[in-house]
Amino acid sequence: MWVPIALGRDVPRGATRAVLLEGEELVVWRGEAGTVQVWEDRCPHRGMRLSFGFVRGDALNCLYHGWEYGAGASCRRIPAHPDLTVPPTIRAKAFAATETGGLILVDRDGTGGPPPLMLAGLPVASLAIAADPETLFQLVPATPRPDPQLVEATLDGVRFHLGWHVPGPGRIMLHALVLDPGAESRALIALHKLRSEAEARRAA
Amino acid sequence: MTAEPAALDQWYVLGAIGDFPQGQSSRRLLGTNLAVTRAGDRFTIESNGPPAAVRTDYGHLWTTLGTPARPVFDLPESRESDRRAVYCGAVTVRASGLRLIENFLDLAHFPYVHTDILGTEARPEVAKYEVEQRRDVDELWATKCEFFQPKAAAASEGGQISRYMYRVVSPFNVMLYKTPPAAPDRWDVIALFVQPVEPDLSIAHPYMLVIDDISTDAELIGFQQMIFLQDKIVLENQRPKLLPLQPGRETPTRADLSSVLYRRWLKEKQLRYGVEERTDLA
Repeated sequence: MWVPIALGRDVPRGATRAVLLEGEELVVWRGEAGTVQVWEDRCPHRGMRLSFGFVRGDALNCLYHGWEYGAGASCRRIPAHPDLTVPPTIRAKAFAATETGGLILVDRDGTGGPPPLMLAGLPVASLAIAADPETLFQLVPATPRPDPQLVEATLDGVRFHLGWHVPGPGRIMLHALVLDPGAESRALIALHKLRSEAEARRAA
Repeated sequence: MTAEPAALDQWYVLGAIGDFPQGQSSRRLLGTNLAVTRAGDRFTIESNGPPAAVRTDYGHLWTTLGTPARPVFDLPESRESDRRAVYCGAVTVRASGLRLIENFLDLAHFPYVHTDILGTEARPEVAKYEVEQRRDVDELWATKCEFFQPKAAAASEGGQISRYMYRVVSPFNVMLYKTPPAAPDRWDVIALFVQPVEPDLSIAHPYMLVIDDISTDAELIGFQQMIFLQDKIVLENQRPKLLPLQPGRETPTRADLSSVLYRRWLKEKQLRYGVEERTDLA
């Protein structure tokens, strides 16, 4: 299943981001070539989180010992042994990832089929909300899209594409893009109002 | 988690002597609360049962919750009068104490975690070194370790190829021997005494016995703390937090020879405190 986990804008070239998806730690990163990658946030050598690592060219390097992973997550260099040809069995765990309409999506279990295609929106914010999706979407008049965890919604007169993922129980991370140019300020205000209402409902 | 005999029957550090006030204070070890009473230089330590054994060695307070087969390890360098003994302060680390020891034994991280201090990216190679299990004293040794270091110690003025030896005296206590900038024919001793508080929570007590007439105490402590805080970032972000002993969970290479021996030794001892639960054993 394809799940939106970040706004493409928030993972620029050369950057890593840690994402928690249903309790699982992922690293999202982008090499200089521009393709986004989503892997398990763990170096197979000593278990160090790869989101602490550094990107050079099209490779992600672990902070701990500098092990270098190329696209597809194969380890291709172990600095402690410069002359070693790294066996192909040494690799991080990569997931299918795609980017569409300003969103980064991951298909962890490989059941998502062809990746979704969306019209580009203007990225506004990823917003952490202390509420479960059911509570939140009681407050949002939304039109489902064919893709899971993606809806079109209108909040305070602003049209949105909303993607989301669940970091853990009772929490939702909303990834918001606006479809109306020039509406970003109103969109931000509408989103924060939505968060307050959702969290108040949860508290009640 | 309740500690098993392999973990109970060991000596553990509870802190530097100077950190204990007169009268009552409390500590935690292996998931057990301890009441420490100090009267002058006499200590008593109590948990639920009868008073626990007490030692005051190498400037630190030691105890055990079991019946160790051996006394507290010997540290002969502590009797050399020209060495300076320096306590570096206690550092809490949210990780298994075994991860701390393993990191302490590791050379290959120097260029990346202690960049331009203990190593440089330009010279990351770990040359072959030797490891040995000394069964007569039940210690692990790694010898003939060499590594290029831009700033090997507080008193360094330039780069050097440092020589190292490592000595693991118990699952949670380790020391390294390293060539000091000022006396290439002798060894500085840097010890790491780990107090396992919970399986995934530890207090590190670094302790130095060094040959250095130049640096102030503050410089020596500051250097060691800087290094240790860099390690802490790694240690708290390893997954799992507990040390995995199950084959295939992690990927050692030749540079990890000392880690491989350490893990084998822990298995042999059937140590489980701070170890990830295994699913491959019936």
